[in-house]
Amino acid sequence: MEEKTEKLKNEARKLLEKGQVCRIVGFEPGSLKFTTTPLITGEKDELDRLVINPFIVNNLSVYLTGLKGCVAVVAKGCDSRSIVSLIQDNKVNREDVVILGIPCSGIVDLSKIEYLVGKDRDELDDITVANNSITVTVGGEKREFTKSKVLFDNCLGCELPTPREYDILIGEQVAPSPALESGKLKELKDMPPEERWRFWKEEFSRCIRCYACRNVCPACFCNRCFVEETEPQWLLPTPHWQDNLLFQVTRTIHVAGRCTECGECQRACPVGIPLRSMTREMYDLAGELFHYKAGMDKDEEPLLTAYEVEEAENFFG
Amino acid sequence: MEPKTDWEPRVVGFLCKWCSYAGADLAGTSRKKYPANIRIIRVPCSGRVDPLFILRALRLGFDGVLVSGCHPGDCHYQTGNYRARRRFAITRKILEGMGVEPQRVQASWVSASEGGKFVEVVTGMIDEIKKLGPNELFTDGRKNRKTEK
Repeated sequence: MEEKTEKLKNEARKLLEKGQVCRIVGFEPGSLKFTTTPLITGEKDELDRLVINPFIVNNLSVYLTGLKGCVAVVAKGCDSRSIVSLIQDNKVNREDVVILGIPCSGIVDLSKIEYLVGKDRDELDDITVANNSITVTVGGEKREFTKSKVLFDNCLGCELPTPREYDILIGEQVAPSPALESGKLKELKDMPPEERWRFWKEEFSRCIRCYACRNVCPACFCNRCFVEETEPQWLLPTPHWQDNLLFQVTRTIHVAGRCTECGECQRACPVGIPLRSMTREMYDLAGELFHYKAGMDKDEEPLLTAYEVEEAENFFG
Repeated sequence: MEPKTDWEPRVVGFLCKWCSYAGADLAGTSRKKYPANIRIIRVPCSGRVDPLFILRALRLGFDGVLVSGCHPGDCHYQTGNYRARRRFAITRKILEGMGVEPQRVQASWVSASEGGKFVEVVTGMIDEIKKLGPNELFTDGRKNRKTEK
């Protein structure tokens, strides 16, 4: 990790010195122990704050549409897919961004560790990541966990740990991990329809409509979102479960083919709605119905603008 | 829940201006009879139908939503209906995955000369929805303000 961080700092410095980019988008240590937070800077002396570690969770591609080019961005495999999807949608010019690819072997979910250890992240002394296990040191005592227990859910079946689209790769290639079926999704699929609806109704009763899911989503780049339209007012701004559900389902369908299943919406959700169960289904559907995988090929036409003459006819009477 | 005897379904139909709307018109002018349960909204193209329209109709308490447009290859705007097809397929599958009865959300291709087919589609859909009963997805145990007369 240390040498990766050093390499990143060097590359970033070179890019700024050459004037190839105006800004670097990366990670710096966060205010809480172990956490990281996005760093957007054009100052060379601030580059020393850059880090790469197994806690760099944010999908930084969300900043690209706002920054309008001339940036170098740190991207894990999943983030690179979001960038590709932005390129497909003409939101980002490939020539305007320098992608600093990070091969990633999974991001550690601190809340899972907190849950397993039963201690707050501030009370943990150290977390070390080895090939297949993670060791947590608490009060001099070492505890080992398998990776599948402490990584983010979306890292478990990661299809693209090493970015396919990059300019500079920092570190060695990582092989994709074997796909693991998300437990929640399987559970949902086995429920009868009424129960599924009740499940979502209950989940969305908790939604406070903070729109964190939308704001953190790289695929949600509309200048004006339908939820804020007043003429017509599509849905009430008050957090009734009906409107919450309407908002989220519509949002999920709107980002079909752009959603790369990075899991940011679920991570950002302050009330813990399992949004990935919904995005995962959308992602699988795009594959099943239209053989489409979001963010894999920058020259491919986006899902909702492309079409085949013969497809999906069974939906039409 | 048992469908109430005095209950009549309300279905909203998004019909494309160039084909299905003209088809519905033809059904009328040729004095063919179809259930009056369908409320028709004319859209410029089936490609205009945002998934939001479908969801909002269900949210407002409509018992079903029909999306209808030109046959593939006949779109006035060349490709609008192909795009509508992808979007509709995804919308319907997602709603089905969430527990919405798929019969409530239907689509068909009806050309301007297919007055008869329009009658068949609407009749068939209303029958299916009558069997399903009222849309209580968003009711929360109380009556939806918009469904009350």
